[in-house]
This record gives sequence, structure tokens and C-alpha cells, in this order.
Amino acid sequence: MSDTRTPLLNVSDLEVTFYVHGHAVSAVAGVSFQIFEGETLGLVGESGCGKSTTGKALMRIVQPTKGTVELEGVDITKESGKALRSARTRMQMIFQDPISSLNPRRRVKDIVAEPLDCWKTVTGAERDALISDLLSKVGIDPSVYGNRYARQFSGGQCQRISIARSLAMRPKLLICDEMVSALDVSVQAQILNLLEDLKAEYGLTLLFIAHDLAVVKNVSDRVAVMYLGKICEIGPADTLYESPAHPYTEFLLGAALEADPDSPMHSQTLEGEPPSPMNPPSGCRFRTRCPNATQKCADEEPLPQEVAPNHMVSCHYPLTIHHKSTTPVALSD
Amino acid sequence: MSDDKLLVVKDLTTTFATAGGDLTAVANVSFDLERNETLGIVGESGSGKTVLSRTIMGLQPRLNTTVTGSSIIDGFEVVGASEDEKRTIWGTEVAMVFQDPMTSLNPVMRIGKQIDEALRVRLGMNRKDAKARAIELLELVGIPSPVERYNTYPGQLSGGMRQRVVIAIALACSPKLLMADEPTTGLDVTIQAQILNLLDELKERLKMSVILVTHDLGVVATRTSRIVVMYAGRIVETGTTRDVFYHHRMPYTRALLESSPKVSNKSHTRLVTIPGRPPNLLNLSDGCSFAPRCKFATDQCHLVRPELQPSIEPGHSFACWNPLPINSEAVLP
Repeated sequence: MSDTRTPLLNVSDLEVTFYVHGHAVSAVAGVSFQIFEGETLGLVGESGCGKSTTGKALMRIVQPTKGTVELEGVDITKESGKALRSARTRMQMIFQDPISSLNPRRRVKDIVAEPLDCWKTVTGAERDALISDLLSKVGIDPSVYGNRYARQFSGGQCQRISIARSLAMRPKLLICDEMVSALDVSVQAQILNLLEDLKAEYGLTLLFIAHDLAVVKNVSDRVAVMYLGKICEIGPADTLYESPAHPYTEFLLGAALEADPDSPMHSQTLEGEPPSPMNPPSGCRFRTRCPNATQKCADEEPLPQEVAPNHMVSCHYPLTIHHKSTTPVALSD
Repeated sequence: MSDDKLLVVKDLTTTFATAGGDLTAVANVSFDLERNETLGIVGESGSGKTVLSRTIMGLQPRLNTTVTGSSIIDGFEVVGASEDEKRTIWGTEVAMVFQDPMTSLNPVMRIGKQIDEALRVRLGMNRKDAKARAIELLELVGIPSPVERYNTYPGQLSGGMRQRVVIAIALACSPKLLMADEPTTGLDVTIQAQILNLLDELKERLKMSVILVTHDLGVVATRTSRIVVMYAGRIVETGTTRDVFYHHRMPYTRALLESSPKVSNKSHTRLVTIPGRPPNLLNLSDGCSFAPRCKFATDQCHLVRPELQPSIEPGHSFACWNPLPINSEAVLP
């Protein structure tokens, strides 16, 4: 990477393997990326591609099998006990289902106060003031709603409460796992705008995991595309969407539906479904569905190569930049 | 004129008696559907789109439910018909594809048997013919190696494949009208494109009409010829897909379009949001249900409900006292 900034999060060769009835399922198979301070990295992919597992492995909610996750230079895969707990205050996660991620029988202000009460960083009147402040920041009036139970709120409001809770410890990094997928469009727009405002105000760095390409583009500076446990393309949001270099990214973008009757219909749809991660294809994992695949794709795993500044693609035959075509363009090795 | 319409819905109203009082989920809905046409019903959660689609074919709950108005499918009046009478049109005249392909299939019954069931019960086929037809149907909906798949259980199939099976069951008795309630909501984008293409293709091949019920404007944009936009149980705007997208008059339609993130947006585009959230159907005001969230609302909007009125394009109507101007150069109200 030609970027010279120091990354806040440096993930290198992260692997997560689950064992199901003795079979190894490689959910995340060697993922490396960096997130720089103050930026939003979008992580897109279809279900089962390992994007949520990646997010969870960063928090060590699931154990990485291999690889390192460095948060501000400290490898948290080696940490345990107190050190791990304290690392987790600097990264927080917001989950997809806002209703089930809050205890329905607890009061809103207690939910938001939970991290503070665990760490006892602030107490008494200062604590109450901080909670009121957090709740008003996310658009929940603390004097009216603070004492209500989580079950009395709608999905959008619950997601606001989740955001307030995640900000209580003033984290550096926020991992948002499909945080707006369960919401209606009008509420989704409110939450996305709120997230952008809070990001600026709290100086947050975001890893935004989602399957919705339009949502990801609207919030991200850079976007990484995952397929079957590997990142196939990563680059600045605008250039990646304008001129995808990986055939999979192009298919994914081609399948995205635009709310516009004049948008081109899906001229080419990707046939079939992703192979099982229990038995991934050799070489390039996308080759079984790729129209450009050759013998080389089966034999050799493509390594990330830079096709434009900060735009890396793992493909033997990357699509030419600024020229969307499906004909293979052979690069000299 | 109404003879050649496949479906004529007039003043359809569905009221549920709940502990909190009468809840009118669908109120005075009227529209019609030509043969071999695809109509989209769009709305946010709670707008009544699902209840409407079920009431049209008489699938509403029996207890505590009152339906008035009329829904005539190919000459058959659904409202007021007994279960036995309705059973004569279910399957052969109208069939439904539900959202969740996991819960709409029986997990402990082989998929082939589930298709056979419709054929044997409704069409009186014998075991052998039913099996042959079921395999044909599996092939029709694009399931690879249908003969082997006939004996699989739903749990052995992916979400996209299950949705194809659900479509096969719906098509078993060659219905004239296929209702698809959020048919692609739980699916990945590339699979969603496959399923929508399949529905399009089947509609042409089998000369069906399709009603696509969805919250996703992207799904209806390129797939439908006309759209019905619902809000709080009522139609607030209806017209050809192009008119609704480009010449909408109702502020809610515009707000819905503006709040959806678009792939063509630059990264970090701020979304236009609708303040507040959809109203509680138990205590609706006498005025326009959207008035509390509408920036153009006047006293009249809060007091008197606007009826659907025609716009300049044929078949385009909207319910609003202060509609958006016909041309963009006109002064905003």
C-alpha cells in the first residue's frame, strides 16, 4: 500500500476456522487490511462470505485461528484478561438486530450506563450527566425516555440507544455489523446521517459491514469486497464503484438495484451460488463462477496487486480501469 | 371495461379488533390490474401492504377481522366468500410467494412432496403424474438436477433455492395472478437479481400477472409497469412506474425516494430524511396521516383527509392537499 499514514487498526493475514462435525470451515481465510484514523472502511459481501466473522474476530468475540489484529500498534490477538478487556473499550460493536441486542427489561439509561458502571470511570452526578448527554446526542430525550424500558422502543430508536451505549467509553473504533439492515428506508437514512454526525463529533473510525452496496458507498471512504473468506478487492469507494477491477465486484454492482426506472436492467447476472466454505475451490475462490477463469486461476491463488493508487485487486485478469468489459485483459506477469 | 381486468379491488378495508381498539390496517383501497401486468405495491413496514395483499386473495386471519369492499379476481368476489369457495381460486387463479422461504416450507417434508401436494389436492393428479409435473416445475424455476433435488429437504437448500421451490409450489396450478410478498428480502443481491429475473421470465412465459409487494424501491423500479404507494393503510399515490418515480406529486413519495441511498451517489452523500416515524394506526388523525412528518403540511392537512385525485398523466393519482408542482420550474407550495 502506498499510504504512509499510520493505521489505527492493522489486520494481517487473519484467519478464522470453525470446526463443524470435524470438518474445517474456513470462514475467514487470510484477510489483511488497514483502517486509518478517522476513515470509514466499508466491508461488503454476500451472506456467508465471512464479513461478520471478520468483525467479530477483531473484537475477539470469535477467536482468530491465525494472524494479527493490531489496534494502535498493540496486537490484541495475544492479549487476554485485563488487557483484552481494556482493549475492547477502545473498539465497540453495533449489531444488526437492535431489539435483541438490548435487554428488554432494563431501563434505557441503565443500558447506556452499563459500560461506565463496569469500568467506574465516572460516577454519581457526572455519570448521569454523561448518560443524558449521550442520549440527547442520539436523539433520545433523556428526561422523557431515560426511564423507559428497551422493549418500549421501535427498531430505529433501539439502534439509537445501541449507538449511545457504544459511545459511552469513547471508543476509537466502531464496528457496525449490518446496523441498518433491519430498518425502514426513512429510518435508515436518519441513522446513517446520525452516524456521520457522531463520527465527526467523536472523531470515530468505522468499520462498516453491510451487504447493501448503496448504503456502504454512502458512508465509506474505502470499500473492501469479500468473497468466500477472502478480500478480492479493496479501494477508494468512488473509484471502486466506478471502475471495479475484480469480476466479482462488477457482478455485485450489476446486481444492485437502483431506485430508478431508467437504470440499466441486469444485463448479466451471476449464475449459481457461492461454493461451500467447507470445500473452497483451489486457486482463486471465485473461479467456479467467473466467466474469465482459466487454468491459471485454478492453479495459482491470485495475490493482491495495485491497479490504481490504493486500489488493490486479487485477480489474475483484473478488468481494465475506466473500461468496464468482461473480456479478460491479460497483464504481463 | 372491467371484464378484461384480472383483478378489481374496490374500497377494500381490513379492520382488526385489538385490545387497544379497532385497527384499520387497510383503508378504502381501490385499484385494478390488467392481464399480464406487473404491479408494485410499495410502503414501509406497517403501511398495510402485506395485509392488503393477503386480503385481496382472502388470506386474512379469520378471528377479529372485518373486511369490507370488494376484491374480484377474474370474476370471483373474494370478500365474503367462504373458505371452501376461496379454495377453488387459491392455486388456480391466485397464488402467493411469501417472504421467508424457510418458514413457508415444511422443514420435515421433502420438497418434491410439497409440490406434489398442491398438484394432487387441487388438480387431482395421481402420484406418478404429480411427480413428473413437480420435476418439470423444479426445472422451470431453474433448480439444477431437479430429479435428485425432488427428494431433498428444505434445510439442505440455500435461501435462493428455497425461494425457487416456493415459486414452484405457487406455480403448480398455473395461477393467473401471482402475488409475491417481499420475495427477495432475505436474499443476497446476486440471488435477488436471479429471482427477479426468474419472476419476469415466468410472467412472460406463463402469461401471468404479478403483484410485487416490497419496501425496496429498487425492486419495483425496473420490474413493474405500475406502482401503488401505501402509507398508513391508504394509497397515497399511484401511477405508471415512470410517473411515480419522475412525476410524483405526493411529498411522501418524494421523501421515500430521496431517503434511499443510491449506488450512483458519491461517497458520504448526506441523505434526505423524513423526520419522525410512521403513525400508530390505532389513533390516526382525521387529516392526512403523513401530515405530522410533512414539511408542506397546513392546517387543512391536519384536519381533513385528502382523497386520491387525478394528476395530468392518465392513471396517475395522488392524495395530497399541497401536491408537489407538475413541473420543477413551478413554485413550491
